[in-house]
Amino acid sequence: MTKVNPNFGKKLKKFGAETVYHCFHCGNCTAVCPLSTDEHQFPRRFMRYVQVGMEDKIKHSLEPWLCYYCGDCQTACPRQANPGEVMMSLRRYLTSLYDWTGLARKLYTSMAWKVILVGLLFFGTLAVVYGFSGPMVTERVELETFAPAHIVHPVGIVFGTVLAVLLLSNVYRMYRMVIGNTRIPANVYLQEVMTLVVHFLTQIRMGMCTNKSRWIKHLLLMTGYLLAFLLVNVDVFTAWSLTNEPPPWYHPAKILWTYASIAMLYATLDFMFGRLRKKDAWHQYSHSTDWMFLLLLFGTIATGILVRLFMEWDLPLPTYHTFAFHLAFTVPLLGLEVPFTKWSHLAYRPFAMYFARLKERTIQLQQETQTEVAA
Amino acid sequence: MAKKVGAYICTGCGIGDALDIEALAKVATKEKKLAICKNHPFLCGSEGCELIKQDIQEGLDGVVIAACSQRVNTDVFNFGPSVVVERVNLREQCIWCHPANDEDTQMLAEDQLRMGIVKAQQMEPPEPYKAEDISRTVLVVGGGLAGVTAALEAARAGYPVVLVEKNAELGGWVARLHKQVSQRPPYNELEDVDLADRIKEVRENANIKIYTSAQIEKIAGGPGIFDVTIRQNGTTANERVGAVVLATGAVPYDATKLGHLGFGRYPNVITGDALEEMAARGKIVRPSDGREVRSVAFILCAGSRDPEHLPYCSSVCCIESLKQALYVKQQNPDAAVYIFFKDLRAPGTYEFLYKRVQTEGVVFFRGEVAAVTEGGNQTLVVEADDVLAGEKIVAEDLDLVVLATGMVPTTAFGEAPAVEEEKKEEEGPPPDVILKSDILNLEYRQGPELPTLRYGFPDSHFICFPYETRRTGIYAAGAVRAPMDIPSTVRDATGAALKAIQCIELTAQGSAVHPRVWDFSYPEFSLQRCTQCKRCTVECPFGAINEDEKTYPLPNPTRCRRCGTCMGACPERLISFKNYSVGMIGSMIKTIEVPEEDEEKPRIVVLACENDAYPALDMAGINRLQLSPWIRVIPLRCLGSTNLIWIADALSKGIDGILLLGCKHGDDYQCHFVKGSELASYRLGKIAETLNRLALESDRVRMEQVSIMDYHRIPQIIEDFAKRLEEVGPNPYKGF
Repeated sequence: MTKVNPNFGKKLKKFGAETVYHCFHCGNCTAVCPLSTDEHQFPRRFMRYVQVGMEDKIKHSLEPWLCYYCGDCQTACPRQANPGEVMMSLRRYLTSLYDWTGLARKLYTSMAWKVILVGLLFFGTLAVVYGFSGPMVTERVELETFAPAHIVHPVGIVFGTVLAVLLLSNVYRMYRMVIGNTRIPANVYLQEVMTLVVHFLTQIRMGMCTNKSRWIKHLLLMTGYLLAFLLVNVDVFTAWSLTNEPPPWYHPAKILWTYASIAMLYATLDFMFGRLRKKDAWHQYSHSTDWMFLLLLFGTIATGILVRLFMEWDLPLPTYHTFAFHLAFTVPLLGLEVPFTKWSHLAYRPFAMYFARLKERTIQLQQETQTEVAA
Repeated sequence: MAKKVGAYICTGCGIGDALDIEALAKVATKEKKLAICKNHPFLCGSEGCELIKQDIQEGLDGVVIAACSQRVNTDVFNFGPSVVVERVNLREQCIWCHPANDEDTQMLAEDQLRMGIVKAQQMEPPEPYKAEDISRTVLVVGGGLAGVTAALEAARAGYPVVLVEKNAELGGWVARLHKQVSQRPPYNELEDVDLADRIKEVRENANIKIYTSAQIEKIAGGPGIFDVTIRQNGTTANERVGAVVLATGAVPYDATKLGHLGFGRYPNVITGDALEEMAARGKIVRPSDGREVRSVAFILCAGSRDPEHLPYCSSVCCIESLKQALYVKQQNPDAAVYIFFKDLRAPGTYEFLYKRVQTEGVVFFRGEVAAVTEGGNQTLVVEADDVLAGEKIVAEDLDLVVLATGMVPTTAFGEAPAVEEEKKEEEGPPPDVILKSDILNLEYRQGPELPTLRYGFPDSHFICFPYETRRTGIYAAGAVRAPMDIPSTVRDATGAALKAIQCIELTAQGSAVHPRVWDFSYPEFSLQRCTQCKRCTVECPFGAINEDEKTYPLPNPTRCRRCGTCMGACPERLISFKNYSVGMIGSMIKTIEVPEEDEEKPRIVVLACENDAYPALDMAGINRLQLSPWIRVIPLRCLGSTNLIWIADALSKGIDGILLLGCKHGDDYQCHFVKGSELASYRLGKIAETLNRLALESDRVRMEQVSIMDYHRIPQIIEDFAKRLEEVGPNPYKGF
């Protein structure tokens, strides 16, 4: 027996679900959804959970993460109930639920918290950079002198570790919520690791949506970012790509950086224009956190590219200042988005697929044992 | 009786090519000794008609038109009230559905002509019945939305109106509503009820006489000459009116029977009606402590579509509840409002209202309500199945539960008169249900109110004859006829007012009302031989026949619809019309030529209802479906006019079988005279025993129910019957 909770709908409004009560359950959304299956039915079912306020059901569900928001449901909805956006809101809500610090909920539901936290990290970073940086060599570009590796790298490693711990602890909470007390055989965890890797690297499920171009763009952004992330980390140990002397154009690191820059810039700009044009169903509704993510990302990419260009053109001062701003964008982007808000889906999505497989396999195994016993 | 009859054979439309016209004419001239028998290639043209008119001027008073179906060219072959016209169908039912230049087709045409001639020879031109002191006033019973609208519409059309209302004020149910749903774009707003203007117009109209706090004590007479006694404040008034509009509306279902939904047990469970009143007074509060409500649940279909309570849907409770949900949301947008429903009906523009209610955040639950109980602090708890989530759900902390109760027509109250002992013993169609609801108090032998079909609603064929009841000249409108919303009621009242006016005008001319509007004949009773068996008074579907002190039938011709059911019922055969009688049809049967047994040409008489079966036969011809050559079709006004003597006539003549084609009967009847086909089938049941006793197989008589759209089935129906007759063998009475 579920209690009707009218406050849940009000709560979810802050996460972006404005139209959920418009739904009259014709089921067109579920019918047209290319990803909905018999085992994992959505979005109609979740429209109902929200209307009735079945928080418990939602808490333990994986389905919001199995939706990749192609917007077909939104186009087919005769009531303009925007099921795709409701699923999106549920992902935001779940993110806030997985996060044990409570910061995610604040970031999603309060504009003040967003502004204060972003501002704090942004200006804090600038203050730290200018406070602890080395001298600015003006004869030639010497970024390493301005930002000494012995300071930047340990700080970066600590920062990265904190973020990873936060994110993984949230993933663990997600695991507790969706798996609960289901006993999953240990070897199944290992057997299904590939699911995790494949979905993390390819987002292949997004390719099952009707509109494939979105997947390609997402892949550009994702591969671009992953590459940049790897190159930066390689540099921490080897200074392979980030040298004071710009390498020739055929240097592999330079080719990779060029790809990463163009891919990320293109994808980010495309997403921003898409959200302004509101032509595609998945871009019709933008939560404040969507813009927060895109603006921080764009700031990071733009300053990152400028740093490379200024180094290329041998302009020392612009390089240093731009680098300071690059860090000022990067810190809130990583610090707020990865563990707490939108970017956390880099972990939740592949893990959702992983957990879904774990459950499926367990049920399969149980059935097999039952048939054996029966035989 | 027509003294001088002439036959006119049309040779157009291929009739001349398919039949031996000369031989056909010999039937008229040699066999039937008619002085005049002419043929013309285009009889319905002006030249052809002129031919007939000339003969009429020279003293002809009976015309047999052997041409197309009686259903076409009726205006062309109308030669005034003093000339009887009988149509012989040589086109649709002869050459179009039988092979040309064939011996059997020719025999069929000749038989059809013989039948036409003998009928014409016996027919007389009808003299319209003109009642004295015919009134053109319309009586409207009930002063609610339907009554006020009907009164206004009739008065605007120039007819005096007498409006009788039980309460002190006009306005009825609708006047008590807080708001109504706007019928203008965007169709989702609430507006004030706009009845006041109508009531003002009614009050100011000099043509409308209003009796408030009044009731009908008695209605005697019939259409055109209803004598109404109205009781008002202890005095009585008499009015003569021409027709009646019944607009007494409906009342909400008795919620005290809905204990399972908490009504009567918890003070905060109320009906939609009570909420409406509360909203009209001001704030919507908890009855228990007068605190403004913060959460309300509406339970739809409370007692409706429930075999234990009201088995039907009242069609408007959904809309009313949606409207009331908005009352709550307008009072407090943050209030939690739930609507529990089995099915939601928001047809037409009401969809916009539904959509608005959804966008205001009202939550809808589809499924059965399992229980309504009380929680702490007199709050209520509703448990239900939620089909959409597939879960049992419980809504707690409710300040108010509103039950959307259905509509019960005012005609549904009052006991049914005890069934007379003699009736019980007889096997017959179930007697009519007439509830003594004390509304019309008709002085009719069959009972004081309108017969009901189900659930207490006045019986009316809602597709073919909306507004019509089973009492001629009395038309039901609004929620008393069927549950309906405000716009439908306005339309309904307007339609019923029009029907009342039509009835008055037709009665003044001496014509029947729908569906025999052109008919000026009426049944005449030769009471000398009457045995007072009461069959006619019992069986008349319209209660047209009363009884006098000596229990002889007392016909009221203006109530009559001219179906002839009484004629078929009378065992003494003493009821007849000038142009339709037991004798005429009997003669038609007897004039059919029955070949000897060894010729192997059986004969089947088809008695076909004029309203659906006969047109279906025509349609078969139009579609060139081939029919058995053995059939001889006789159109009847209604199968209810079938007199059993015809079966005897046919069988003693040597005819092999009789097929009755009539309308569907039962609860969803299609009979244009409600009971006709049902009575015919019941009479046939009685004759089966007699036939078996006479060593005549009862299979020789068969009745089939057809509608006009069943024309494609007609060949098969006849074929099946012919096949059965072949198995039974020829009629042993052939040649006697």
